[in-house]
Amino acid sequence: MVTPDKERAAEQAVPHSFKKKRGDNYFMEQKKIFSEPVKYDLTFAREIYRLENGSYIKQCMNCGLCTVSCATRDVMEYPPRQLFNLIKLGKKEEVLTSNTFWSCTSCCTCKARCPRGIPIIDVMHDLKKYAIEYGYTDYPQAAFYKAFWTEMSSRGKMFEGGMTARYFLTRGLDEIVKAMDMKDVGISMLKHGRMPLLPPKKIKGLGGLKKIISKAQELDRKEAAR
Amino acid sequence: MRYSYYPGCSSEATAKANAHSIEGVAKALDVQLEEIPDWNCCGASVASGVVGDFTQLVVTARNLAIAETKGLDVVTGCSSCYMTLAVANKKFKQDEHFRAKANEALAAAGLNYNGTLQVRQFLDVIINDVGLDKVAQKVKKSLDGLTVAGYVGCQTVRALPFEFDDPEQPVFMDRLMEALGATAADFPMRARCCGSSSTIPARDIVLDLGYKIFESAVAGGAQVIVTPCPMCQLNLDAYQSLVNRKYGTNFNIPVLFFTQLMAVAFGLSLEDQAFKYSIVSPYEALVQYSK
Ligand code: SF4
Ligand code: SF4
Repeated sequence: MVTPDKERAAEQAVPHSFKKKRGDNYFMEQKKIFSEPVKYDLTFAREIYRLENGSYIKQCMNCGLCTVSCATRDVMEYPPRQLFNLIKLGKKEEVLTSNTFWSCTSCCTCKARCPRGIPIIDVMHDLKKYAIEYGYTDYPQAAFYKAFWTEMSSRGKMFEGGMTARYFLTRGLDEIVKAMDMKDVGISMLKHGRMPLLPPKKIKGLGGLKKIISKAQELDRKEAAR
Repeated sequence: MRYSYYPGCSSEATAKANAHSIEGVAKALDVQLEEIPDWNCCGASVASGVVGDFTQLVVTARNLAIAETKGLDVVTGCSSCYMTLAVANKKFKQDEHFRAKANEALAAAGLNYNGTLQVRQFLDVIINDVGLDKVAQKVKKSLDGLTVAGYVGCQTVRALPFEFDDPEQPVFMDRLMEALGATAADFPMRARCCGSSSTIPARDIVLDLGYKIFESAVAGGAQVIVTPCPMCQLNLDAYQSLVNRKYGTNFNIPVLFFTQLMAVAFGLSLEDQAFKYSIVSPYEALVQYSK
C-alpha cells in the first residue's frame, strides 16, 4: 500500500552510474525498496505498449507536469509520471497493484497539459481494463467499474440503484458497513426525488446494441492479434 | 434553432433539475431540442475501463448514428456525456481507420455514422448560438446583488481543449452569470475536479476535493455555486454534509445547474426552476429572486 518511503524511492529512481557516485549507503536504501536492482525487463513494457493507447507511453519525457496537475495525486501511490516510468522499467507488480489508475477521475487536466500530447486518461482506461483482465481487482473501483458496465450493457441505460446493488454484492458486508454513514445521503436523495427505485425501461434497440458491442470487441481482438 | 438532444441517464434520476431547467430555458430562448429516439447510455468515463476505448466509443456513436439521419447537431446538458460524445465524434471526423472499423461494428445493428454532425454542450449553445445579448434581453428579474461561483468543472472545457472556452480558467460561465445581473465570484477552483464517480468506491477523494472547492467559493464571497455538470452537482450538493462532518466546517451553499438560475432570472415557472430536487436548500439564498 501507499508508504511515503515507496513514493520517495520511486521519485529517486536514478540511473546506476549516478547511484554509484553517491556511495554504498544510498544504494542500500534503494535496495530496500525494489525487489531487485533496476533492471530493464521489456516484456511487460511491450505488452502495455500494445494496448489501445499504450504506445503513447513511449513518448513520455518524464517532465512531471501531469503529476503536479493531477486532481488525485495525494491519494495515488505513484502519480502518472512515476507510473509511466515504472512501466518502462518493467515493474509489472508495482504497476498492476498500484491504485494509480483506479484513482484517476478522468478529469482531463493532465491530458490538456501534457506537452507531449499524451492522452493520459485513455492510457489509464487501458490499464484498468488490463488489470481487470489479469485479475488485479482488489481495489473497490474495479468492482464499481464492472458493476457499471454490466448495468449499462444489460439495459442500454444506467440505473444507479442496480449498479450500487451489484457493487455491494461483489464487495461484501465490510464495504456495506463502511458505507453506513452514507445512508443519510441516500435518504436525502430519496426524499428529493433523485433516486428512483425502479430501473428505467430497457432501450428498444438493446438487441442491436448488444450486437454492436460484440462486433466491436471482436474487431478489437482481431487488431490486437495482429 | 433546432438541435438533436441527448438527455443522458442522469436526466431521469439524479439530475432531474438539469432536465427540467434546460427544457424551460430552451423554450424561453426559442431553442428547439428534439430528443434522439431510443438513445443509449454513453458509458461516461467508466465503461472504457472495462471494455476499452474503442468499444465504448462505438456504443456512444450509436446515438450519433441515429441523430445523423435527422441531420441536426447534437446538444447535451451533461459534461460526461459531452466528453464521450464529442471525443467519439472527433474520432469519426479525423481518424479514417477508426471510422471504418467503428462503422463495421455499427453495421451489426444496421447503423452507420459519417461524422457530419457537431456535438455541443448546452452552455456552449447558449453562449455562442443564442448569445449573451439575447439572454440579457430575456431577464425579467435581475440577479442583482447575488454573487455566484461559476463552477465549470473538468470535462466541459477539457474534453476537447479550446473547443469553446479556455481549459484552465474558463470565463463563459462568469459572463453568463453577469448577463443575468449577478456578480461572478473570484473562484480559482472553477475548473478543478470534483472527484467524479469516486463517491461509492473512494469517497474521500470526493470529500477532499469538495472541501477545497467550497472553501474557494466561500472565500470568493459566493452565495450560490452553479455548474453545467450533473456529476459535479450531485457531489457538491449531496455530499456537502459529509464534507462538513469530515472537516468540521459548516458550509451551507446551494449548488444549482446554471440553467436553474437562468430560469429564476427569466421568471420561469417553479417547475423549471426545479429547486425541490436540491438537498442543500436554495430557497433562502434566492428568496428575493425566485417567485
Ligand atoms: S506531462 Fe506528459 S510528458 Fe510530462 S511526465 Fe506526464 S505524461 Fe510524461
Ligand atoms: S485525468 Fe486522471 S491522471 Fe489525469 S489529472 Fe485527472 S485524475 Fe490525474
